Amino acid sequence: MAAPDFFKPRQLLALGTATAPVLVAAMGVTMIILCRQIDISIGSQFALCSVFIGLAAQKGGGPLELVALAMGVGGVMGAVNGVLVAGVGLPSIVVTLATMATWRESLRWWREGEFVRNLPETFQWFGASQMTGQWLVITAGIMVLGCMVMITQFTAGGRFMYAVGSDPEAARLAGIRPMWVTFSVFVSAGALTGLAAVLNAVRFTDVDPKTGTGLEMQAIAAAVVGGVSVAGGRGRVLGVFAGVLLLACVGPGLVFLNLPAQWERAIQGGIILLAVASDGLGGGRPRRLREQHEEKKRR
Amino acid sequence: MNENHNASTTSQGGWRVWFRAESVLLLLLVLEIGVFSKTGTNFWTRENFFEVLRLSVEMGLLAVAMTPVILTGGIDLSVGSLLGLCAICFGKLWRDAGLSPFAAAFATIGLGLMAGALNGALVTRLRLPPLIVTLGSFSLFRGFAEAITKGVDNFTNFPPSFLFLGQGYIFGVIPAQLPCFVAVAVSFWVLVHRTVIGRELRVLGTSPEGAVYAGLPASSRIQLVYVLSGGVAALSALVYVAHLGQAKADAGTGYELLAITAVVLGGTSICGGKGSVHGTLLGLAVLAVMKNGLTLSDLPGELGGILTGVLLLTVLSGELFMRFLSRRIRLRNRARLA
Repeated sequence: MAAPDFFKPRQLLALGTATAPVLVAAMGVTMIILCRQIDISIGSQFALCSVFIGLAAQKGGGPLELVALAMGVGGVMGAVNGVLVAGVGLPSIVVTLATMATWRESLRWWREGEFVRNLPETFQWFGASQMTGQWLVITAGIMVLGCMVMITQFTAGGRFMYAVGSDPEAARLAGIRPMWVTFSVFVSAGALTGLAAVLNAVRFTDVDPKTGTGLEMQAIAAAVVGGVSVAGGRGRVLGVFAGVLLLACVGPGLVFLNLPAQWERAIQGGIILLAVASDGLGGGRPRRLREQHEEKKRR
Repeated sequence: MNENHNASTTSQGGWRVWFRAESVLLLLLVLEIGVFSKTGTNFWTRENFFEVLRLSVEMGLLAVAMTPVILTGGIDLSVGSLLGLCAICFGKLWRDAGLSPFAAAFATIGLGLMAGALNGALVTRLRLPPLIVTLGSFSLFRGFAEAITKGVDNFTNFPPSFLFLGQGYIFGVIPAQLPCFVAVAVSFWVLVHRTVIGRELRVLGTSPEGAVYAGLPASSRIQLVYVLSGGVAALSALVYVAHLGQAKADAGTGYELLAITAVVLGGTSICGGKGSVHGTLLGLAVLAVMKNGLTLSDLPGELGGILTGVLLLTVLSGELFMRFLSRRIRLRNRARLA
């Protein structure tokens, strides 16, 4: 990067803190995409969770209670998606489109766009100093990332996800219950979204009910840039981590290079298209070679 | 996302026809109109009828063009952003480049077609999933719109001759944008339901591989639907600008999801292969009447959003249940015959 200021510790710390919630939310979405589903309702889930923890903090809830509450609320909303997708068998994009609208509008109806203000002192940064708080948020994000890497690569649950994502029928025949895997993935993604909401909310002194608009697109974009295939069953969590960082660096990077910040969205879109296009081009040749090879064998 | 392709419900006839999405929607629409005529002030008037139509033109254009895209098993998330970009470009060309509104409109439609071609090329040439391609261009187009206006620029003071397209009345009653919408909707209906191309689109949605083995020009057909979707998004942008009298970078935010909602509510399967343009129009009408009726009945507008979500899930689950039921009955009949 052409701007040395970008690498000052303070800047990196702020960037890391702002990115941690997106990272956590992207982890949930990654699991869902690995199972060949999609979730576009997490932005709304995020907003609803944020408002809930704001209200709970007003009533004097401690940090751990807030985390538990947010993950619980998120988990319930995830379960609604999970029941409709895995149980009823509706396409996930339609289900989450519907729940997205429903949660967002219910929230608007309920709160009428009002901020949750007058939060106790102990709410921001969990009551710690800003520095400690920032480190706490980043540590939480990294911990979730670490757990996710472990789960996807070294546990049976992770392999179930990949199996269901590659071929649900084959997974069923192999003794996995795709229904339960899909359902639990939706629930955990909801819980992670709740956690992300906590990590985001503690950065501010009040809770904006419009928060999280477009988060679903950010998270999906990060997963895709990180090499997760929307056809399911392919992709790595660490790749998603790289995707989140790459997309998050665009905005601050522009500022430090003295370029107009309005280009952020355009550049992010360009990155997404480039990433998937290179995947298509690079994957194209081996695929064609393999097909030719198989053709020959058949003869 | 890829289960349950259509078991031909259309050819069966009989009572089962009544459980198709279109008839459920028609019933819902009648119900809505009945309820809102009682509760809403000025709901049951000619002016309001045309007002609802006027308000739903932009969305309707997007939804109608989205229908063939979804029929092929694809999706286009970029139309809302493209609407914003086209609105900005139209303003820029007219005000800063000094083109006449007519020339600027022409160039804008060209831009829309090109943007659609970009989506189509990425989907067909590189064989990328449409969801991802259009997610990328969703950011890209909106980003360009923000970059061109630097986030603050706002185009207003368009000439009255142009604003007539969005605000004027033909013969004093018919909103000026309505004929344009009707023309587009009819052409799409003919394309989807009365041409070979339309049938090919369905086949592509039902079984892409089968379509290729049957010798269909798959790439060019898919390219076509995205190009059309882009062009119609540009047209929708013109109507939008003429209607509101201003063009800002955030024009059309979230429209893509509303358009998809109308299409899916209208009985088009999100997995492709099954669906109709008239279904989309019905879905659109249900959503538009609900929004208008709630406003006129002094009910909170948010209720509309909630009901949309619930409606979407109910209609789809209902359809799934009916399919399940009809399969059971068919099996029983077969057992009795044997």
